[in-house]
Amino acid sequence: MADPKMRFLVVDDFSTMRRIVRNLLKELGYTNVDEAEDGAIALQKLQGGGFEFVVTDWNMPNMDGLTLLQTIRATPNLKHLPVLMITAEAKKENIIAAAQAGASGYIVKPFTAGTLSEKLNKIFEKMGQA
Amino acid sequence: MSDFSGMEDLLQDFLQEASDLLSDVDNKLVDLEKMPDDRGLLNDIFRGFHTVKGGAGFLNATELVTLCHLTENLFDRLRNGELELTPELMDVIMAATKGVREMFGELGQMVQPQPADPDVLAALQGALSGDQPVPVAAPAAAPAPAAHEAAPEPSAATGEPDWSLLHAAVAGQPAAQAPVSELITKAEAAAGGIAVTPAAGVPAQASGQQAPASPYGRRATDRPGAQPVNARRAEERVRENTIRVDTSRLDQVLNLSGEIGLTKNRLTSLRADILAGKNDSETLHALDQAVSQLDLLVSDLQNSVMKTRMQPIGRLFQKYPRIARDLARQLGKDVELVLAGEETEVDKTMIEDLADPLIHLIRNAVDHGVEMPAERQAAGKPSKSLVRLEARQEGDHIVLIIADDGKGMSAERIRAKAIEKGLISEEEANTLDERQSLNLIFLPGFSTKTQISDVSGRGVGMDVVKTNIQKLNGSIEIRSEPGKGSVFMISLPLTLAILPVLLVLLGDQPFALPLSLVREILPIEQSRIQEVGGKETLVVRGEVLPVITLSRLLGWPREHYPEYGVFMQTAERSFILGVDSFAGRDDAVIKSLEDFRPKGVAGVTTLSNGQIVLILDMKELLSDIGQHVDIGSAVRALDFA
Repeated sequence: MADPKMRFLVVDDFSTMRRIVRNLLKELGYTNVDEAEDGAIALQKLQGGGFEFVVTDWNMPNMDGLTLLQTIRATPNLKHLPVLMITAEAKKENIIAAAQAGASGYIVKPFTAGTLSEKLNKIFEKMGQA
Repeated sequence: MSDFSGMEDLLQDFLQEASDLLSDVDNKLVDLEKMPDDRGLLNDIFRGFHTVKGGAGFLNATELVTLCHLTENLFDRLRNGELELTPELMDVIMAATKGVREMFGELGQMVQPQPADPDVLAALQGALSGDQPVPVAAPAAAPAPAAHEAAPEPSAATGEPDWSLLHAAVAGQPAAQAPVSELITKAEAAAGGIAVTPAAGVPAQASGQQAPASPYGRRATDRPGAQPVNARRAEERVRENTIRVDTSRLDQVLNLSGEIGLTKNRLTSLRADILAGKNDSETLHALDQAVSQLDLLVSDLQNSVMKTRMQPIGRLFQKYPRIARDLARQLGKDVELVLAGEETEVDKTMIEDLADPLIHLIRNAVDHGVEMPAERQAAGKPSKSLVRLEARQEGDHIVLIIADDGKGMSAERIRAKAIEKGLISEEEANTLDERQSLNLIFLPGFSTKTQISDVSGRGVGMDVVKTNIQKLNGSIEIRSEPGKGSVFMISLPLTLAILPVLLVLLGDQPFALPLSLVREILPIEQSRIQEVGGKETLVVRGEVLPVITLSRLLGWPREHYPEYGVFMQTAERSFILGVDSFAGRDDAVIKSLEDFRPKGVAGVTTLSNGQIVLILDMKELLSDIGQHVDIGSAVRALDFA
C-alpha cells in the first residue's frame, strides 16, 4: 500500500457516491480525502495544490470527468497526477476516450474495496516504474 | 433482518438525494413535453437516471438498476436523435419514472425492490429495439440465463489491461507493442467483468434482440406475497427523518454555543465572587452585563437552531407539476402549473404536513377549477389553463396561494348544494354573505361534484384540508369570481416551535392563549351584559358577541364575575372570553404533552419564574362547551409534579 497520508480528491455530483468512494478509500486505509461536486470545482481545488490522486466520475454537470481529465493532462503542474475514472459503463467508446485522454485507470460501478485496491495498486506500480 | 443491515445510513443518504433528483427529473419531463428536442433537458434526464443507477448498484438494488438502465439507454438514444419522442413513448417514460419512485418507497421500507411492472419493461425494451412502444404481452417466464450467476472477478494478472500501453497505442506513440483492438478488447473484458451485478442483471443493453424475460421471472417467485400495491403504500409512508442544512447555518449555531459557553464561564466566576461576599457595584454591573449578554445569545441561538429546520418550499413544490400534468392528461385538459416563490423557507415539519393539503388543492383546481379546452374556447379564454402555486413570506407569516383561471365558484350554487346536502338550513343560508358561502365547501360532507376518478378517491375532502391547515396554526381563505377563476390563500406561522401567547389569570392560576386568536382586550362591566336567548352577550361596536367565561370552559366554579374580556376570533366564531386578570404576553416554547394530554390543552410552557403554564387549545375547549373538561386535574397534576 502506498502512503496512507496520500491526498485524494473524489469528484462526483452525487454526494452519496462521494461518500461511498470515501468510505471504500477509508477501508483501504486512505483517510486524507477531499471532495468536489463537478469537474470545474475539482479543477479549482487541484489548482490550490496538495493533491496526489484524483478519483472522478464521468457523467457530471458543468464539467464532466473526461473534460476534467483532459484539462489535467493539459495543465503543466497537474499533468502527472494519477486519475482514476469511475463510470457505470463498460462501453468500448468510453474506454477508448478515457485512454486517449490519458486516464490512469478505469473502474466500473459498482465496485468493492478489493477491486478499488487492485486498481489503485496497479496505478501505484506503474508510477513506481516511471 | 433488513436487506440493508450495515448500510442504513448509506441507504438514507441515497434515498434523500435520489428522491430529489427524481423530482427534478419529473419536472424536466413535464418541460420536455413542451420542448421535446431540448438537448439540455434530454441530457439532464439521462444523467438523472444514470446517477440513480450508479448509486443503486452499490446497494445491490438490481431491479432498480435494471429499470434505470433501460430508461437511461432510451434517453441516450433520444439525445442522439436516434429515437423520436412520441406521446406514447412519453407515457412509457412517465410509467418508468413512477416505477423508480415506487422502488424508492420499497427501499425506504428496507426491502429490495420488486421487479418493475413487466409491461413497462417490455415497452422500454420495445422502444429501444426501434419498435414504437406498444403494450407488449407479458414475457414468457423463461428460466434465468446464466448471466445471473455472477461472473468471477478477473484476477489482476489476466483481466487488467495495460493502461499505459493502451494509452500509448491510442495516442499513437511508438511504445505500443500490441494492436490497439486487442488492448481494447482486453480492457472491455476487464471492465465488463468487474461490473458483475449490473451487467448481469441487465438485459443486453440497447440491443432489444434478447427476450426481456430473464430478470423478471425470477424475483416474482422469490416473494410471491408482495404486490406492487404494497409498494405504493410504502411510498406514502416514507417520512424523511434526516435534514440537509447549509453548513454556514450550522457554523453559526456552533459559534453561538461557544459564546454561550464563554458567558457561562463568566457567570460561574461571578457567582464565586458573590458567594465569597463580593457585592460591590462593579461586580453587580458585571453580573448584569453577563446576564444581558446571555439573554441576547440565547435568543440568537434559538433563531439559528430554528433556521436549521427551515427548508425551501421548492422541495415540496417540485413534485406538483408532474401530478398536475398526469391528472390533466387523464381528464383531457390542457393545464400548466406555474410555480413561484420556491425559495421561500418553511419549517421542515410544516413542509411535510403541507404535502397532502396542497396536493388536494392542486388536484381540485385541475379537476373542478379549470374547464375543458372546448368550454374555455367557447368562453373566449385560451384553451390552456393556468394553475399558479405560489409561496411568499409576509412578516412573520408564510402565505401560500393556489390560483386557477377556471370557471370560478358561484356562492349561490354552493349555498344551494349545502342546503340540499342538509348541511345548513335555508334560514342559515340566507344569512351568509359571499365569503361565508364559499367557506361552506370546507364543511365535512360537502362536494359540488359527484366524486370522480382517483382525484377525490384519496378520501381527503376540503374539510380535511382545512383541518390540516388549522393543525399548523394556519388559516385558509377562498376568493372566487365566476368565469375568472378561484384563489385559495393559506396563511401559516413561520414556525411551530415558538408560539406568542397571552397570559391570563383565573384566580391566581395563569393560562396561556395563542396570541394569534386575540383581537383585543376589554373590561367587562356587568351592567352591560345582555341576555340573548339565555346566553350572556356583550355588544362591542355594534357587534353582538357571546361572553364565555374561562371558568365555565374549564368547568371551574365561578367565584366572581370576570373583570376582563379577551375578544377572540377563531376560524368558526368570534366571542369574548371572560377572565379575572392578565399576567402579560410571552413567546412560549411549547413542550408537548405526548402521553398525557387532556382535551383542550395544546401543550405546556415554563414562565420566567419557573412556573409551568398550560397552553389552551381554544378550538377543543369550545367544542366541549357544556361538558366539563377536566383541566382541573391537569393543573393539579402539574402542581404536584
